Amino acid sequence: MRSVARRSVVLGIGASPLLAVGAHAQGAWPSQSIRLVVPFAPGGTTDLVARLIAAGLQEKLGVSIVVENRAGAGATLGSETVARAAPDGYTLVMSNIASHAISPAVYGSKVRYDPVKDFAHIALVVSNPTVWVANPRAGIRTMADVAARAKSASGLQVATSGAGSSNHLLVVQMSREIGTEITHVPFRGAGPAMQAVIAGQVPMMSDSLPSAASHIKQGSVVAVGMCSAERHPSFPDVPTFREQGFPLESDSWFGLSAPAGTPAPIIARLNRDVLALLQTADIRNRFAELGGTPGTYSAADYNSFIIREVAKWAPLVQAAGATAD
Amino acid sequence: MDLLANLAHGFGVALTFNNLLFCLIGCIIGTAIGVLPGIGPVATISLLLPITFGQPATTAIIMLAGIYYGAQYGGSTTAILLNLPGEVSSVVTTLEGYKMARRGRAGAALSIAALASFFAGCVSTVLVAASGPLLTSVALSFGPADYFSLMLLGLIISAVLAQGSVVKSIGMVVFGVSLGLVGTDVQTGQQRFTFGIPELSDGVGFVSIAMGMFGIAEIILNLEKPEARTVMTGKVGSLMMTREEVRRSIPAVLRGTTVGSLLGILPGGGAALASFGSYMMERKVSKGRHEFGTGAIEGVAGPEAANNAASQTSFIPLLTLGIPANAVMALMVGALIIQGIQPGPRMVEAQPDLFWGLIASMWLGNLMLLVINLPMIGLWVKLLAIPYRHMYPAILIFCAIGVYSLSNNVFDVYQTVFFGLFGYLCSKLRLEPAPMLIGFVLGPMMEEHLRRAMLLSRGDVMVFVQRPISATMLAIGAIALIAMVLPNIRKGKDKALQE
Repeated sequence: MRSVARRSVVLGIGASPLLAVGAHAQGAWPSQSIRLVVPFAPGGTTDLVARLIAAGLQEKLGVSIVVENRAGAGATLGSETVARAAPDGYTLVMSNIASHAISPAVYGSKVRYDPVKDFAHIALVVSNPTVWVANPRAGIRTMADVAARAKSASGLQVATSGAGSSNHLLVVQMSREIGTEITHVPFRGAGPAMQAVIAGQVPMMSDSLPSAASHIKQGSVVAVGMCSAERHPSFPDVPTFREQGFPLESDSWFGLSAPAGTPAPIIARLNRDVLALLQTADIRNRFAELGGTPGTYSAADYNSFIIREVAKWAPLVQAAGATAD
Repeated sequence: MDLLANLAHGFGVALTFNNLLFCLIGCIIGTAIGVLPGIGPVATISLLLPITFGQPATTAIIMLAGIYYGAQYGGSTTAILLNLPGEVSSVVTTLEGYKMARRGRAGAALSIAALASFFAGCVSTVLVAASGPLLTSVALSFGPADYFSLMLLGLIISAVLAQGSVVKSIGMVVFGVSLGLVGTDVQTGQQRFTFGIPELSDGVGFVSIAMGMFGIAEIILNLEKPEARTVMTGKVGSLMMTREEVRRSIPAVLRGTTVGSLLGILPGGGAALASFGSYMMERKVSKGRHEFGTGAIEGVAGPEAANNAASQTSFIPLLTLGIPANAVMALMVGALIIQGIQPGPRMVEAQPDLFWGLIASMWLGNLMLLVINLPMIGLWVKLLAIPYRHMYPAILIFCAIGVYSLSNNVFDVYQTVFFGLFGYLCSKLRLEPAPMLIGFVLGPMMEEHLRRAMLLSRGDVMVFVQRPISATMLAIGAIALIAMVLPNIRKGKDKALQE
């Protein structure tokens, strides 16, 4: 245990594969390649970041990390295979707001794992605030405009990346806040939804910051409110929902988890390595470009964070009527 | 003149040793994955993404783009030789291409596929360079109602132009549409026709259907006839195209390039719509239309030109708006963002090296692909001389690997087997699989756009006739239907379409 701790300090600085080769000569973990399951199709933010993390961890651990995409059923299919895998530290999953908070409520009994009990959660990798953006010609600049438009005779339509997403559930929450139904216009993914907003077919969109960031910077859409606790450092001019009188917070997030029963030293080692990786200038810059905030939680904190998220989203899914059962 | 100066600058960037090398690597990888059934550009690009983290952005994107259009070239090879479409756009190539191969014209089919792709690639690259921003505004003016009407028109025309029994082909379209409904409803998140199987919640896999209905079913049919157990009927035939074939191909390639360039700009299935669209057009207007179904060269030339043109113009929304038109483009956006580059309207000014370098590399890549592919044709055709008893197990294994790699799930392999058996049954009943696939691709998109249009218009159906684009599409569709019902108007429509 002590040698593992010392080694990861060394690796944290120098990232030398040679030392790690020494580790598996002693029969210690890791001695073979690690499978990292991404429960989404290739190409999404989670997939991209998983590959960034895998490349970094690979250097720190000295074994190759194979990213395996296993998409389907609201990210639950891939997560299920990991929940059932051997808890030996060689199978990991990119746990996320869909697979570990929203989908269990959406799919109910069809999800054959418990998002908390069946996993040993390792570390939060990134959390992305939700941002509401509007077409510049829609005449919506503040959240007060949003409420006023929703209450007007013509009503307000808000596009999202899909039904049952955290972006959609925020539309439901906001409707409750202002006491009027906002029309939800779901699309198949964030790209087509953003295109419809830029083209002016739908006035607004509820989107996660990474996919909206470039469009806000280019001015093709206007950021109306950032749905996070504080203003985002890359967008200091965009006020939060709370500042504008709507006490809501909605972050989408993802992290790293292992099957329940994975030895605690492995979890601790991975947590340290991931957090160290997230602090490197390279990764910080890339996350800043994407608009996300790198995680800092300990493994225990990430676990209690997921417990809170499960409790938070279940009633909202019910309210949105998005259950599959 | 600006354009020329910019292009010269672009070639300066693309012709550096490093960029040329990675363009070539991309093209070779792309051709290879295109030839291997089931292994598509999305999976390959995501696998190779970490390699690009350490490269300059321009080099990275040049390589990824090479993989993408290289796969379009390679995909036609298995479609023509083995009736195995690996992607939506190569389904159409199987229809006439495989028939040509059976007639001993495999070499000609492969040559025209490569040449048509090259020509279309060159033209559409110029189009991307010259009028990208203009074409973007065309794409942006397409609302949900317009998409719906465009796709409805597509379905009507596919029914009107069906081979053989109209009733059967309408039946297959409807069956395809119903298959497309399986999965999670985009509007409400409800599960439809999933029978409690979690794997079905994202719908039935297109690759499984296409491979099963075409490739696997064909293998079963071949094995059924003990005497004719080769793909070829013996003769390999001349590799070169005859003068007659060249003459017939030229107008088809021109039409295909036009159709493909326009439809490629539309997000979501542009390349697929393009090749289906071009096929339908050729079947109706080309000189060889009476040969369709038996291996008409126009049926290969047009769609191949169309899908390559579309795959180039689908860069337009990415480069000018920062919006990906399909999954491959989404990966490109990811690769750019990781490099710290925001795709979008300012990219042309902010990153001239990248923008013009990419455009120049597309042209160079197309040239490389032609050079790689033309000499390979002789080799590919020789593959057909391998005894079928050795050939089919290899095909089956590659299919299984390819399908499994889509989401690392055995369920997809079972699906392919199921559709293989179903496809065999269909061919026994003389039911065509192509209309079913058109229904499968267009049905769910139509439903989505219909419901979105109704949601945005607050339930007012008039939106479909008030928007000029939508109204025009519906009018053409109505004319096509009337023409089908009244055969004597049909002649007149032929003339109208030719103009």
